[in-house]
Amino acid sequence: MSVTGILLDTKRFAVHDGPGIRTAFFTKGCPLKCLWCHNPESISPSPQMGFYADLCSRCGKCAVVCDKGAQSISAGNRIFTPASCCACGRCETECPGGALKLYGKKMTVEEALALALEDRDFYEESGGGVTISGGEPLVQKEFTLSLLREVKKEKIHTALDTCAFVPREVLKEALEVTDMFLVDFKHADSSRHRLLTGQPNELIKSNLEFLSSSGARIEIRIPFVPGCNDSVENMESTGEFLGKLNIEKVKLLPYHSLARNKYKALQMPDTMPAVDAPADEKIAAAAEILKKYGLNACSGRE
Amino acid sequence: MLYADFDADREYLINKFRHPVFEENNGMDQEEIRANILAVAEPLMKAGLSKPVIKARCFEYVCSNMYIDVNIHDVFPGFGCIDRKRRPLAPLLGYWNSQIDSTVNKECARICAERNRAGLHMIWKDFDHSVPDWEALLSLGYPGLLKRMQEYRELHKKQGTLTPAVAAHFDGMELTVNALLSHIGKLINFAREHHSGNPRIEREIRSLEKIRTGVPEDFYDVLMMVYLHFYYCEHIDHMQVRSLGGNLDGLLWPYYEKDLKEGRYTLEDFREFLTCFLMQWGSIDNYWGHPFYLGGTAKDGSTLYNELSFLILDVFDELHIPTPKIQLKVARNTPQKLLDTAFRMIRDGHSSLVFVSEEGIRKMMMGYGYSEEEARTCNITGCYEMAPRGTGNGTGAAHINFMKIFELIFNNGVDPATAYTVSCPAAKLEEITDFDGFLKAYLRYLDELIETCIRCAGGNESNLQEVNPSPLYSITTLNSLKTGRDSFANGNVYNNSGILLCGIGTAVDALMAVKKFVFEKGEVTLQEFKEILLRNWEGAEELRSRILRDKDKFGNGIEQVDRYAHLLSHYAGRKINGRPNARFGEYRASGHCARQFIVMGEKTGATPDGRLAGEEFSKNLSPTMGMDRNGVTALIKSVCTMSAMDLPGDFPLDVMMHPATVQGEEGLAALRGLLYTYFAKGGLAVHFNIFDAEVLKEAQKYPEKYANLQIRVCGWNVRFVELAKAEQDAYIKRVENVAE
Repeated sequence: MSVTGILLDTKRFAVHDGPGIRTAFFTKGCPLKCLWCHNPESISPSPQMGFYADLCSRCGKCAVVCDKGAQSISAGNRIFTPASCCACGRCETECPGGALKLYGKKMTVEEALALALEDRDFYEESGGGVTISGGEPLVQKEFTLSLLREVKKEKIHTALDTCAFVPREVLKEALEVTDMFLVDFKHADSSRHRLLTGQPNELIKSNLEFLSSSGARIEIRIPFVPGCNDSVENMESTGEFLGKLNIEKVKLLPYHSLARNKYKALQMPDTMPAVDAPADEKIAAAAEILKKYGLNACSGRE
Repeated sequence: MLYADFDADREYLINKFRHPVFEENNGMDQEEIRANILAVAEPLMKAGLSKPVIKARCFEYVCSNMYIDVNIHDVFPGFGCIDRKRRPLAPLLGYWNSQIDSTVNKECARICAERNRAGLHMIWKDFDHSVPDWEALLSLGYPGLLKRMQEYRELHKKQGTLTPAVAAHFDGMELTVNALLSHIGKLINFAREHHSGNPRIEREIRSLEKIRTGVPEDFYDVLMMVYLHFYYCEHIDHMQVRSLGGNLDGLLWPYYEKDLKEGRYTLEDFREFLTCFLMQWGSIDNYWGHPFYLGGTAKDGSTLYNELSFLILDVFDELHIPTPKIQLKVARNTPQKLLDTAFRMIRDGHSSLVFVSEEGIRKMMMGYGYSEEEARTCNITGCYEMAPRGTGNGTGAAHINFMKIFELIFNNGVDPATAYTVSCPAAKLEEITDFDGFLKAYLRYLDELIETCIRCAGGNESNLQEVNPSPLYSITTLNSLKTGRDSFANGNVYNNSGILLCGIGTAVDALMAVKKFVFEKGEVTLQEFKEILLRNWEGAEELRSRILRDKDKFGNGIEQVDRYAHLLSHYAGRKINGRPNARFGEYRASGHCARQFIVMGEKTGATPDGRLAGEEFSKNLSPTMGMDRNGVTALIKSVCTMSAMDLPGDFPLDVMMHPATVQGEEGLAALRGLLYTYFAKGGLAVHFNIFDAEVLKEAQKYPEKYANLQIRVCGWNVRFVELAKAEQDAYIKRVENVAE
């Protein structure tokens, strides 16, 4: 039986998730709970139904096609019972206004590979390939490793976008089938890291040291969130740690709050900081600090 | 006044072809000249003079009477006849056209009128899309062209081929060029009388004098000659001129190098010349724009891009004008820096840049029998069309409406809006029982439309020289001198006629809707569908919504869908390409549809893809607006299921992208990757629109802040704020569909 993953999205022509033109697969499930997470639908490993109330006309078509009783209309109001939802997606297909969005669709490795192969010509021309991102892709390690393996067999470049908060053994397996690691680094201080993401950072640091010493190609991504991790002190500490490793590039990804609507649609508590996107100058200054430690740092806007 | 004061010149330049101010009593108003033309022509007609001679005399009359200006705020002369839609010779040409259409072309003219009204076609006599032999023009100059023409006239005399018609052709050329040269003399006198001693004007006088008496010698002279020839030919001689001297950077390069070496001009001078030169077209601002190539590949395989290419792009970028439309010839040798410069300009909203594939053009043209050299040096002749340099002239003879066919099938050959009936051996609606039957009926109607189109275009194009002889174009064309035939009508080496296919992408969506919702799901019968479409979907909104949301749409890289795009383009291409036209040339199917995707849309009722009556179709080879949902790689894959060999007229794609997807250096690399992959898959031309819907909404709200924001509409660019609200809304809708 083929290995199946639960994906929140697939993206062709992904340009900022590794070199060249890529196809990116976004898996569900993440061990971290970052306050600023712009993909809240990626945290839970299970499928979730997003409901965009503004688009709902209360026509009841979702209730008609749902034979599990997860969708119903009562007294003119739509009622959703998550426990009954089997994530078949029929209600999403039927909804005329696009008010329902199923986050978490099943996809076999074969299906994912077939999709990835669609754009082979573009990878070859641009030096691109396939990226598995998330969530944390190694939460679904069987699917992720299997897909990476199959993609490698096709001689296509692979990249893994990971938070590195994963068991070492799993990372070792990934190393064999991954050409490039895109590793998130949220905060240099472990206690602050725990406050911001729900987990300490020792495992992340140690995994980064392991990847670096193993000769892996590494690009670091720092979500640059005003008031959370943008202090000069944190940038200095981050530079000090990363500067000792073999890192190709560090990207500072500016925070934005565009995902707020998704928290509402998923009925999740909105944890996104109420701050504006950082100014270009602020990011440039942070990049300058990192450059002092020999890092090839730049803004994600560049 | 020197270039450093360009801001002082800007107002004059932008108004030059819009709201010019002339010295009082220096000429007559364009409308007055136009109103007099038939009175000028009438005695000449009564005297039995030939049409080329009559037209030449009228040309002379216009030159003698129009306003002129040589102004310190410009380095090129100004003219009174500026309105391209009210050209002064039009009444005469209209008269000749009505003569032809009421006699020898009567039947075709009647069919064209009826069918154009019903929106089945747009068949017309096209006098656009010609490109002079720039090299002959620049190397011989007008006096040299006259001398060469006289030699050929003598030759015809000796050979006994100087028939009255050939003699009239030569007379027309001679009279026209002499009138033009006298007019240049008038410009020189004006300049001397008004601005003697002004260094800018003195330089202009020297340049005009060289052109009047000899050949252009330096960078400035070349631009002057290209501009003058464009103006006299397009605005007065009523014959559109495309391209600007071929590949402008290549054309100018030897002059640029020489002028620099000999210290004739400084970099500031070159910027001044290019600024004023490009601003002429920026001021003219016809909605269809003015295309020209940059770059290309030399015979030895090296790139023709040079520092001048960058200078032209830089000046163009600075001016924020939507036209002239620069098309960049791209090959593997194209410098990455050049591509990145162009992509940055596009990302900044300067969208009037198109990329064309040299290799794709080479393969296609050689497949149609042109030499490798002809393909390498080809010129742009239309929005995207191309022809061999100096020897090719193409017309856009007709358009075919691929969406009207659905109305014909559902109504058994009758156009519901006009009751025009197409007789065709297609199955009746009630006889169609499966999708194969529906598709066969579609193809039978398509056959009928193609055959009628070719028949009527043939009638129209048998008599082009009787409607509008082309002396100023012909004198540059060697083959016209050799054959004694009018170069535009049929005297060039390659005289092809384009047939433009309109709405292929939407037609595929409509076929898919019939296939799935009628024959696979059985949700609606053909009879019921007919009634729904006649009601413009009223009462069937839910079905319409499901059809619109269905995934089987062209542009999504779905092989089972895209195969029908291949089928339609291949089927039409096979019926059209290589068929002889009435001009000693051939027909060519074309993938671009000019404005007809809007015009024909207005004349077409509701269609099975969910389109409402009157809505536009897909444009060029693109999918229906908003229906490509799988991203740009899928879009390119879909489009490239069609072949440039089937659509040799042109093969253009418009790509819409969100700025976030291509930001940064990685974005530039991705754009290069997309471009080269599209070309490797056989695409010939591509244009990228990179916009955020929010920016467009802002521009709609505060047009004054976004006066320079440009988008590409079809084969040309426009300022977004100048579009009608409905067109802006449609464009925003399309952009909103583009994912980050």
